[in-house]
Amino acid sequence: MATLKIENLHASVKGREILHGVNLEVKEGETLALLGPNGHGKSTLLACIMGNPAFEVTEGKILFDGVDLTVLTPDKRSLAGIFLAMQYPSEIPGLNSADFLKASMNARREKPLSLFQFYNSLQNAYKDLNIPFEMSNRNLNEGFSGGEKKRNEILQMKLLKPRVAMLDEIDSGLDVDAMQIVSDSINEEQQRGCGFMIISHYARLYSMLHVDKAAIMINGRIVCTGGPELIEKIDKNGYSWIKDEFGISIDKEQDAGLNNVSIGVCATREATK
Amino acid sequence: MINIDYIDNLPSILDLKVPAGETLNLRICAFSSLQDTIINVDVDENGYFNGVLADFTDNSFKFIVNISLKSRGSGCEWHAASLAKNKTKKVFEPSVTHNDTHQYALMSNYGIARDESELVFAGCSEIIKGAKATNTRQEAKIIVFDEKCKAKASPILKIGENDISASHGAVVGRLNDQHLFYLESRGISEEQAKRLITLGYLKPITNYFTDEKLKERIVESIEKGI
Repeated sequence: MATLKIENLHASVKGREILHGVNLEVKEGETLALLGPNGHGKSTLLACIMGNPAFEVTEGKILFDGVDLTVLTPDKRSLAGIFLAMQYPSEIPGLNSADFLKASMNARREKPLSLFQFYNSLQNAYKDLNIPFEMSNRNLNEGFSGGEKKRNEILQMKLLKPRVAMLDEIDSGLDVDAMQIVSDSINEEQQRGCGFMIISHYARLYSMLHVDKAAIMINGRIVCTGGPELIEKIDKNGYSWIKDEFGISIDKEQDAGLNNVSIGVCATREATK
Repeated sequence: MINIDYIDNLPSILDLKVPAGETLNLRICAFSSLQDTIINVDVDENGYFNGVLADFTDNSFKFIVNISLKSRGSGCEWHAASLAKNKTKKVFEPSVTHNDTHQYALMSNYGIARDESELVFAGCSEIIKGAKATNTRQEAKIIVFDEKCKAKASPILKIGENDISASHGAVVGRLNDQHLFYLESRGISEEQAKRLITLGYLKPITNYFTDEKLKERIVESIEKGI
């Protein structure tokens, strides 16, 4: 069983530190609910684990199966078994979805899939996620609705069979039926033995899954870890009890990565700072 | 319908006329070489000109297209895809003049500049006074691959009439880092991700060709060029 272990991780965007020493651990086959108010570094953590070039890891380690991922490019991290379902998946003009899926599936095989094998698994995955198969012929995420993009992320997860999958607000933009379909897929992957790190603001998704443990991230640090009962506590009481119990004041939301531009401010000057 | 196809061997001057009510398709594929070229096209009443150019040559040139929409109801489309590499300088000036009412024009140019090449899209769409109810668009997009290459997209509109619809768009930039990251996060190498995105960018030009073998050759040339 491989472990994804984050040790004292510090990360910055445009010179401003967002993560101030994160320690966290998820084992293959285990599901962690990552909780915390908006703008406190949850998405940044997932992006750093995947190797998003917009963030700079300044200190600490991300170990997976004993290998430090911070020195690997994102494609190598993916091949090692890490997957990130993004909160805002990119729309790529002109890139056919099926071509993209074939390239990513073949990247982890010595011998490329036969056309029959490829279309077979593609058709099954589209069917499982209740996405019309015609969409495989459309440009990647281009013109997809919010819900379609999210289901498309889960579709990729099913096809790529990661060892640890990170889901960043996968439930936002999903209607009730789509939520059921997506949680069924996650359940299946859990059965297969995939580990999960799941960010969501709502207890509903977690209640549809088996969750082993929960962690709360505030001000760019993990302040509290525990069992799934934490999810219920936050769902009922919000985050204000953290201050009383742990003496941690919750900073206001950080506009991670955004320039400080408003009317009357020179946007060009801000952008070149 | 009149079809004119050139695979290389394009003459340096080409004068074309689209008779009233007729459609003319000009399809140019340049693989080995292209010289300085001027193409003049006159389009009569309710006539339509479709021009397509796929350019993968490795030499410098200036390519001028002057489309004159002479009479009411005429229209045209120009679609170009060009790959500039090494030290070549390629200048494209695809222009259209609207001389009468109820006309339509779309001038669309896509390019990739690599190495130390220079790529320029500088067409002009002109609507003269009185060419009412005319709709025109001029667009140019260039992806810049390397530090030393130069790119300029300058789609110009000259408008002498109020009752019209006109737009232009220009994009010059590097490959989007977040697009690359998205592909790489699925296990695709940086090199292949660049190739896939670029292919997606130029491949739509094949939609304007009909010969399947030629389409394949175009895709191969794009893949080879990137």
